[in-house]
Parts: sequence; C-alpha cells; structure tokens
Amino acid sequence: MSAGVSDRMTAAPGQAAPARPRKSTRSVAVRTAVIVVLVAAPPLIFSGYWLFVAAQVLAFGIATLGLEILYGRTGQLSLAHASFMGVGAYTGYVLSQHGYGVPAQLGAVLVVALVTGAIVAVPTLRLSGLRLALVTLAVGELFAWLLTNTTGLTGGTQGAAVAPVVIGSLDSSVPLYAYLIALVPAALATLLAVHLGRTQLGRRMLLVRDSETAARSVGVAIARTKIIAFLLSAVFAGFAGWLYSVVAGFISPADFNLFASVYLFVAVILGGAGSVVGAWLGAAYVVFMPQLFTLMGQPNLYPLIGGAILAVVALLIPDGMVGLARRLLTRAQRRRVTATEVAA
Amino acid sequence: MTATLTPAERPGADDAAPPTIAVTGLSVRYGGFYAIKDLTTALPGGEIVGVIGPNGAGKSTLLNAISGFTPLTEGTITLGERDLGTASTAQRVRAGLVRGFQTVRLMERESVLTNVLVGTQRLPQPDPVSQLFALPRQWRARRRDLAAAMAVLDLLGLGADAERRVDELPFASRRLVEVARVLVSEPSVILLDEPAAGLDRSGRRDLASVLVRVHRDHPSTLVVVEHDVDLVKSLCSHVIALASGALVCSGTPAEVFGDPRVQQAYFGRILDAPA
Repeated sequence: MSAGVSDRMTAAPGQAAPARPRKSTRSVAVRTAVIVVLVAAPPLIFSGYWLFVAAQVLAFGIATLGLEILYGRTGQLSLAHASFMGVGAYTGYVLSQHGYGVPAQLGAVLVVALVTGAIVAVPTLRLSGLRLALVTLAVGELFAWLLTNTTGLTGGTQGAAVAPVVIGSLDSSVPLYAYLIALVPAALATLLAVHLGRTQLGRRMLLVRDSETAARSVGVAIARTKIIAFLLSAVFAGFAGWLYSVVAGFISPADFNLFASVYLFVAVILGGAGSVVGAWLGAAYVVFMPQLFTLMGQPNLYPLIGGAILAVVALLIPDGMVGLARRLLTRAQRRRVTATEVAA
Repeated sequence: MTATLTPAERPGADDAAPPTIAVTGLSVRYGGFYAIKDLTTALPGGEIVGVIGPNGAGKSTLLNAISGFTPLTEGTITLGERDLGTASTAQRVRAGLVRGFQTVRLMERESVLTNVLVGTQRLPQPDPVSQLFALPRQWRARRRDLAAAMAVLDLLGLGADAERRVDELPFASRRLVEVARVLVSEPSVILLDEPAAGLDRSGRRDLASVLVRVHRDHPSTLVVVEHDVDLVKSLCSHVIALASGALVCSGTPAEVFGDPRVQQAYFGRILDAPA
C-alpha cells in the first residue's frame, strides 16, 4: 500500500466522513455556457436545408444515446439499432396515415419500441459480443425484409412521405421549427442519459459491462439489467426514428438498414463509448460529414476518408473523441502544475 | 463507517445476530478432481474467521461454494437456519452475504465512488422508473448510499480519492476500493479472499485494524481467506485449516497454529521440534 493511503487509513474513528468532492461553480458555469452556445448556434448560423440537417443531428443524437446506453454502458453490441429507429418512424407514419395526432403517435412509439425491444432482448439474454451482434444483425435484416414486403402499409422500397407535424404554432416543415421541435426530446433524452449515470440502475449497467462476476457478487440481477438496457435503448431509438421521420419528411427502408446501424455504432465509437458528450459528437460526425463531402462535390470520398478516420480512432484513440480530449486536458493540467512548481 | 451515520441511516442495519455458516459433508468436484471432499465445519457467527491452508487446499472453493459461485457436488451449507443449497447468488446477497475476490474486479474506467456505490445494490433500491425519473424515493436512496459510500471510503483512507478514476490508483488502493464495495452495505456475512494480497506490511496492518474496527462497530461473520500467518493471528478469533480439500483442524489461532499438522503443512516442520 502506498504510504499516503496507509497514513490516511488510520483516520481517527468517529471522524466525520468528508463530503463528496463537488464540481466547482466555475466548471458548472463553463459547461452550461458551452451547451447554451452549441444549442443556440445552429439557428443563428444556418438556415434552410442546413437547419434541417442540424435537426437530423438531434434525432440521430437521441438514437446514439440509446446505443451508448446499450453498448457503451452495458457492453451489449447491437446491430439492429437502426431497426428500432425504423420501428418508431413507421409506427408514427402508419398512425398519422390513420389520422392520429402526435400524442397518440408518441404513445404508440413507446409501446411498440418496448414490445419489439423485449422480443429481441429476452431470447438474446445469454449472448454477448460477436454472437449477439450476429443475432441482432439477423433481426435487422428481418425488419428490412418486412418493410420491403409490406408495401401497402409502409410504402415498401419506394418509401413514404411523412406528413409534417404541428405542435402549437410550430410546423415541422419549417426548418427553424423543425429544429426547435427536435430540441425538446433531444434535451430530455440527454438529461435522462446523464441522470441514468447517477442511479443504481446506471451503475449496475457499468458493472455488468466490466465484470459480470463482480456484478453477481453484489447482487445485481444481470439478466434484468440487460433487458432494461435493451428496452431503454429501443425506446430512445424509437423516439429518434419518429423524430427523424418528422424532420426529414420522408422515410424508406434504406434509412434503417444495416448500414444505418453500423453508422450509429460508428458514432458511439468515434465519440467515445460510455460518454453522453461522445454520443453527441459522434452523431454530429455521422450526419454532418457526408453532407460536407457532398457540399465539396466529393461525396464518393466520404466512405474512404470516413473509413480511414474510423481506423485511426480504433487503433490510436480507443476512448474516442471524448477520451482524446480528456487525455489532452489532463496533459495540459499536468504541464501547468509542473510549470507552477518550477516557478515556485 | 458506522460512526458517521445515525442508526436509521445505517444502510444494512440488522438487529439479528450475525449468522453461523454450517458446512456439512461438502464436496465440490471439477471434472474428476475433488477441490473439497466431505468437509464438515462451522464458521461461527459474529466472529472473524480465518481460512488457511497451502495452495490447492480448497480455501477459495469453500468461499465460492458459500457465496454460490460454485455448485455443490454433495453436502449442505446453511446460513443460520437457512439452507443455501438452491439459493442464487443474488438471494444470498439479499440474505446479507457479500464477498470480495482474490483478483480485484473493478470498473477500471469509473470513479472510486461509483465503484463503491454499486455495492449498495443489496439495500432496498427504488424501482427503475423511480430511479430514471428522479422521484423522491430515488433521492432518499441516493443520499443514503452516498453517505454510506463516503463513510466507508473515509474509513479506508480513500475519501479524497472518491472522484478519481480507479485506473489512476496504485494497486493497493484498488484492492481497498474492492473491500469498500463489500463493506458499504454492512452485510451480516463478509467473505474476503486474500484481501491483503499485494499490500505491504504497514498496509496489511492497517487493513487488519480497519477490519477489526468495522467488525466491532457492525458485528458480522467476517470470513477471511489468507496466507499471511501474522495477519490471521492478529485478526481472527477462529481459524479453519484446510489441506487437499479436507479439514485439518479448527479452533482459536493458538490452537490451530499449535497443531503439528498445520505446522507441517505451513512450515514443513513442527516448530518446537528440533530441526
């Protein structure tokens, strides 16, 4: 044992436990300011199409947060995540076709996402890693097949135009309003994901990811924890899909196929698995990057450059962008401390 | 740990006396090899029990069998009046039986506090919906768990490291984090598998004093598998000596370490006999 620990371990009995170290007011203020600027920037900078793209980032961000809970926190690798987005998108679309309003659509999205999440989660409880990925891949393919073979209901491979929603005076066909409509669920999903990390449920997920043996030793019900993670993830994806359909105004099976699931997975890995900020960075990357290459007139370069970036991150920055930022910050802090000590 | 919490706040407060663990005719077989064969012994309630023996004696297997990590081939294990035969690990934990591991198993990328807080899983926790939507019972549970975690971290000298990531800590501190995770819910039966492994002499001494203090403030049946003879002598009131999966002897440390068979197994000779 290090001397420091040894010394401190002999603290006098009865001595009050120290309060939990809290983040400084300055740190909280800086974070809040950064969030406000990031949220307010798109409507100030963009207009028209690019504001729609920003709204799509918000929709994909919610889905990425769901996958971050399932993979980043619980260690369950799913390649059917875009299918759950599709479940939400098509549930909303079908109900809107029958004249149901937003509350009914959202209620149905919640129920259908929970049911489909349970249908996938329960039989795959004992699977993990590559085997779970393969089974969820099969689920995704099955969903794509269903979409393309129920043309009367879903529009099949031709896709379907989704009617814009009107919430109060906000019409989702107007770019600014689409962004504002997307902002509310995005904020709620982010708060929920952050709060989850402070709950026993969130900690259970982390322990299941890192050591199922340790999880058993403290009484964690591993199967139940995995199911809850799957359901949460499916609900996040379902709402994200609904939001995407409303913002984009058009959906087709190609939006929710295997490649879409892989892109969501890429978003989690690039951003940094296990991090809410990472999920948002990853979502922004996978939505904006292809658009930027298209803007530059080089859309075919994106798969090449994107693949290279992913390889570099996987090889050199396993913690993703957030991990890299954390490392650089720690290094800068160490340098500052060293400089202060030298000056003293 | 208990010094800073009121009785109502004490997480695992339990008025019942710490239970005795009775092992009867226990056999554990891996393939054709018996790790434990026909073992009958008792781990007295409320005592600090040391389980000693050379490598391969069956010490860790005994802990695994008691905690439900290894199925029994034959025999029974009872916790107080309760037969643990078919109980799952989660049921055993709820009954107050929590264990640590020989190899530290922590969430390396998470903070010390998170690692300890997860140990409060044994305590009544709000349902997932209450947790997710931050209902009042969630905040009450969170306050209780935070107080317990900070108190046990303070006791182990890790209070200042609460927000540090575990992978930034030296091995000895990580070992203590796992001990903290076991202690935080104040279980009535604590099973520790070589908790002092990797600690230096002063670290082992301090760990022993902390365990004695925890045991004094919150009586439990504390079972420690340990190789360090001095630690067992200073810490334990009852010792069980195993060899080749069978009981050699049990009793007070003086009785057990004075037994020629234990001396032979541990030191290769009988200590008061001519070399």
